[in-house]
Amino acid sequence: MAHEPAQTEAGKAEHHGHGAGRYWLVWAVLLACTGLTVYTGHYHPSIVVALVIAIFKASLVVLFFMHMTEAPGTNRLVFSVSLVFTMVLMLGVFGDLLTRNPMSLPGGAPPSEFHAAP
Amino acid sequence: MSSSEGGLTKPHLAHHFETIEKQDYAVRLGMWLFLGTEVLLFAGLFLGYTVYRHFYYEAFHQASRHLALWAGTTNTIVLITSSLSVALAYHAIKQNKKKQCAALLIFTILCAFVFLGIKAFEYREKFLEGALPGAHYHFAEVTAPGANLYYTIYFLSTGLHAIHVIVGMSILIWILARVLKGEFSATNYVPVELGGLYWHLVDLVWIFLFPLLYLI
Repeated sequence: MAHEPAQTEAGKAEHHGHGAGRYWLVWAVLLACTGLTVYTGHYHPSIVVALVIAIFKASLVVLFFMHMTEAPGTNRLVFSVSLVFTMVLMLGVFGDLLTRNPMSLPGGAPPSEFHAAP
Repeated sequence: MSSSEGGLTKPHLAHHFETIEKQDYAVRLGMWLFLGTEVLLFAGLFLGYTVYRHFYYEAFHQASRHLALWAGTTNTIVLITSSLSVALAYHAIKQNKKKQCAALLIFTILCAFVFLGIKAFEYREKFLEGALPGAHYHFAEVTAPGANLYYTIYFLSTGLHAIHVIVGMSILIWILARVLKGEFSATNYVPVELGGLYWHLVDLVWIFLFPLLYLI
């Protein structure tokens, strides 16, 4: 905890681990990644590339802007559990959809189209 | 603006906590629990998106190309920059720089208005084109089956996100008012931190919505 007034903030910055420079660096990387995702999305659309970039950007925001690197273990656990359950939700639903008889799929998607979708 | 620029305020200690440290620990944990539920709320919408994109791949591809990419990209830059400014506001108040904190919060709130303005412009275009959810869909340029589902998910997910932008902006306005009254300082900054966390979540959701809606 800081106890000195504003005049000695330089001393406190080191007490809190890092200065404002880290935030600017993260911001620059996030902007670069945005440029990259727009370029790849526009010229070579790929859901995998888009998701990898998005997950990387989201990780930067959580770790540095939201200070997950400095958070106690309980907070990390609580947030990670929500991500795990998101995966459970996705895997459960897709486990069902991908193993269905084609006849039980929506009429707009004949089996051939369904399998052709990347 | 508080005249006591060097004034250090003490946080209010609720009667059921023994110390400020325990209270801070509990409110941070509570905030992360809440953010976890927010992730799951949006996870349902992302799941709906993924399932329908799988079934109506061509319609989703065509429909996404009719969104204004410049608007989505600008809004991404605006939100990322506002995330930076709210993180810097938190950094400033921890160093007791109240005026700098207030200025950065004002900048963040302005970014929120810019985001909503661009979003409103996009919604207006879609309404004029008839690219609307469900039975209201009458957009002539994309007629592939399932295109209306894309716009249903588009309006639901960006609409829910826009509500979060409005809520986050309101929280930041409330925090700004308290910063201006001199309530927060280097010894009392947890509400600024938690308001910032909510704002980062708004950015986080958009980081996924942007490529999934505009760039597929």
